[in-house]
Amino acid sequence: MQENYLAKWLNNDLSEEELAVFKNSDEYASYEKLIKVSGSLEAPDFDVDKALDDFKNTNLTKDTKVIRMSPMKKLWRIAAAIAVIFVVSYLYVSTLDESVSTQYAERSEVILPDNSEIILNADSRITYSEKNWDKERKIALEGEAFFKVAKGQKFTVATADGLVTVLGTQFNVENRKGFFEVTCYEGLVSVTYNDKTTKLPAGNSFIVFNGNVVERETPANTTPSWMSFESTFKSIPLNYVLDELERQYDIEVETQNVKLDQLFTGSFSNTNLNLALQSISTPSQMKFKQEGNNVLFYAENAPQ
Amino acid sequence: MDNVCEEEVFSHLFKTNSKTVFNYIYYKFGNEEKAYDVVQEAFVKLWENCKKVSPEKAKSYVYTVANNLYLNVIKAEKVRLKYADRSNITSNETPEFLMEEQEYKQKLDNALNSLPENQRTTFLLNRIDGKKYAEIAEMEGVSVKAIEKRMHLALKALRSQIDGI
Repeated sequence: MQENYLAKWLNNDLSEEELAVFKNSDEYASYEKLIKVSGSLEAPDFDVDKALDDFKNTNLTKDTKVIRMSPMKKLWRIAAAIAVIFVVSYLYVSTLDESVSTQYAERSEVILPDNSEIILNADSRITYSEKNWDKERKIALEGEAFFKVAKGQKFTVATADGLVTVLGTQFNVENRKGFFEVTCYEGLVSVTYNDKTTKLPAGNSFIVFNGNVVERETPANTTPSWMSFESTFKSIPLNYVLDELERQYDIEVETQNVKLDQLFTGSFSNTNLNLALQSISTPSQMKFKQEGNNVLFYAENAPQ
Repeated sequence: MDNVCEEEVFSHLFKTNSKTVFNYIYYKFGNEEKAYDVVQEAFVKLWENCKKVSPEKAKSYVYTVANNLYLNVIKAEKVRLKYADRSNITSNETPEFLMEEQEYKQKLDNALNSLPENQRTTFLLNRIDGKKYAEIAEMEGVSVKAIEKRMHLALKALRSQIDGI
């Protein structure tokens, strides 16, 4: 007989031979009876449903405790997450560049860390890094601004169209769509446009419109005319003049039968719109109609 | 995946396993009340740790906890098992036969009570709950061979005690 044959027999694991031998033994009847009777034994009653109810009743309090605790934990987690976001965004923002911008019909004056001054004309924006100012004096400009640069390291104005570099001087930079103008009022300014660098002495302007580069002398002013609230143009296409008019007065300009590429020389007031409209329309042989914030220029001869 | 923390999953585990846990502990203790308490406590432990225990592991987890709880309670208590009797329901037998049967059952009860705990538990889990050796081995945390050994020894001891050999 193999090891544990009684267990094997009960599990029907005995071979036929072994089973035959076991059945012939004296003890077989005793074991059969034992198995038969023990098979009718039963464990005490156990009511599963009642036990589960008992369980739920006694553990219901624990259950609610868990529910009560977890929102607090969640709240703390959210609070921690928000705190982290604040700290990170603060750290991030503090490394971001400073930025100043003006809307239509708005101007702004910026004093840089080295006491250089920037005066922003309407609809313009400058960006610079206050942290790195000591290492690199660099301004990114969109629009028009006048610079009074304190003497010191190289000072750079970067625009979409060109780069203006100076050491310490006063100059005006204007960069509008399709238009780039630098005028030097004091000292020497170097202008890099299309990888070509031009030295610009005081009283000179470097103008690019529609890809044409023009260098010309400017009236011997010490500041650009817009700072005296007058916009001055010399042989500039009319559409740039009208764009500037829109910016200075925050109005909408429309034209009818007007040649926008005709050159305009003259100036208009930045404080009196009616005067400005006349200043532009008369030399260009146009008439104008004003309705609220809308101005229509139309050719003198055109039928209305 | 199912989570033991979900009440449905937990209730299902309770319904399918609590009876066997109860019997398992009863065979060891011989005390209904304590067996009932152990069932409750074992499932409380499962509920508390529902996040850590996967549904597949829940069954053996409950047996392990129940076993540990049993070990922690005074084992010295004298085991007095009583087994409800199905065969009483049908009694178109002769009084002599019934007497004999009754006598035999008394002897069996006594023999079971004097068995070592592990042999008794194995024997009754198999005879009453119809558990396979492999299942019992899993519950007890031993090999199938060890369970076969216990079963063999249990049968031998019961027979010799009942037959008075």
